[in-house]
Amino acid sequence: MKDAVRRLNDEYQFNLTDREIDLVAQQAEEAALLFKPLFEVNVDGLTPLTKIDKRVRTVPLARKGKR
Amino acid sequence: MKTLDLEGLTIGALAPLLKKKQISPLEITKSYLERIGKLNPKLNAYLAMAEDDALAAAKKAEREIRHGNYRGPLHGIPLSIKDNIATKGVITTAGSKILADWVPDHDATVVERLKAAGAIILGKTNMHEWAKGSNSINPFYGTPFNPWDTRRIPGGSSSGSAVAVAASLCLGSIGTDSAGSVRNPASLCGTVGLKPTFGRISTYGGVAGTGGYTVNHFGILTRSVRDCALMLNQTAGYDPKDPLSSDAPTVNYTKSLGTPVKGMKIGIIKGYFDEGIVSEVRETVDEALKTLKTLGMKTQEIEIPHIDLVPAAQAASTRPEANSDHDHYLRTRPRDYSPGLLYSLIAGLLTPAPVYVQAQRVRRLICQEFDEAFKSVQVILAPTIFSPAPTIDDCNRGYIEVDGKRINLQDRAGNFLTRYTIPFNVTGLPDMSICCGFSSGGLPIGMQIVAPPFREEVVFQVAEAYERATEWHKRNPPL
Repeated sequence: MKDAVRRLNDEYQFNLTDREIDLVAQQAEEAALLFKPLFEVNVDGLTPLTKIDKRVRTVPLARKGKR
Repeated sequence: MKTLDLEGLTIGALAPLLKKKQISPLEITKSYLERIGKLNPKLNAYLAMAEDDALAAAKKAEREIRHGNYRGPLHGIPLSIKDNIATKGVITTAGSKILADWVPDHDATVVERLKAAGAIILGKTNMHEWAKGSNSINPFYGTPFNPWDTRRIPGGSSSGSAVAVAASLCLGSIGTDSAGSVRNPASLCGTVGLKPTFGRISTYGGVAGTGGYTVNHFGILTRSVRDCALMLNQTAGYDPKDPLSSDAPTVNYTKSLGTPVKGMKIGIIKGYFDEGIVSEVRETVDEALKTLKTLGMKTQEIEIPHIDLVPAAQAASTRPEANSDHDHYLRTRPRDYSPGLLYSLIAGLLTPAPVYVQAQRVRRLICQEFDEAFKSVQVILAPTIFSPAPTIDDCNRGYIEVDGKRINLQDRAGNFLTRYTIPFNVTGLPDMSICCGFSSGGLPIGMQIVAPPFREEVVFQVAEAYERATEWHKRNPPL
């Protein structure tokens, strides 16, 4: 992750110190761990939620459970 | 003309007096400006005043009412607006250094609608930098203080709005809420805070980068449930300028007030809202449930099988959406963000696109689970925050110690102060926080009342029934 942060640092010219790069990389690593369970859910047949709509909200409950 | 004590005054009490010409809009506006002049140095609720515009609007309201052109219950009512909502000719900083000099040339739709109702906009309220946090410790404009104990945070990000309402520095305020930013400060300051259904109030005129897109809402903070209904009546409804605004029909939200709640069922979600909860908050919310039961309501445990994915879905939604808006400033003025915010925005740039899309699919799944739950209950009730207001020192060191344990205010899943409110940003459900008691230290404690999409009137019905049965909302902070 540190390499990815360094690449962003170069591209955006943040001028981050090594300590700052470590901090950002740590945050990004923690976020990756947080997001992992999102992919353990069965979302077959579910389209992304972009707007709350009464008609859409009445569809039957999708199949639950993990893959 | 009468003179009024502003402390604890409500729109519901003042409006009839204005209508009957027993109170002058100009005098009441001057009284609020005077009170703000006296108390704002202590509370830091307002970031900028719109004194000249407010006085001009008050004079106009006075003329109109005198000539029999009363526009309705917001005519001549002094309100405030969070500083990430555009106000024509009035500085709008979003609590940021980057927008320190920005003066919009237009009003947000919500401001336009309030002005059309004859409301008086007193000024802009302080907030967390770019609305990206809930302690509202702001390095550029100073931290607003909790009026119940000025050593403590007021919550946020609509902190100044909640402080202004709680301290009677206005009669109502418009805030924004992408993770709890209306309900969180409402809870910590003891006011009413409504986050309506996603799309119910237009977000046109919201400062880009202060709330993302798919979880962001404009909301209302007031002293009473009725006041909140009066403000929603004026602000709800489709806006062609906001593609995300809903054309679902609106109703008169005061109509359900006073309707008996007997027989209605309250859903209680076990597990998620128990994590980290302080015993005093749990006991207070349990007492509130007992009160609602005495009104004839029943309770039922409900299950939202994937609710534990809410923090991930929330973070995966807001971070990329925020980055889309901040890209320009990240490239041109990165050091004009506070360091903590800069780091989190950079980390957000590393969120892969499939994570974002997957989060939106999981959000639909969670919405469907709430739909299922609402087949057997009319409302869901939950604490708003796990604890009463932490001190500013607690926030600076990152944790509180209570009930013999240490609770981190920030963890991998994000901000712990918003853990209980984000389920209703992820799902867009209408949700109100109302005061349901006080801690032993005299700090307000809030609970959330949630209803199915576009059923705000049900939220109002239950919240007002509770308010009528209790006295908490009548307390005023010791200023």
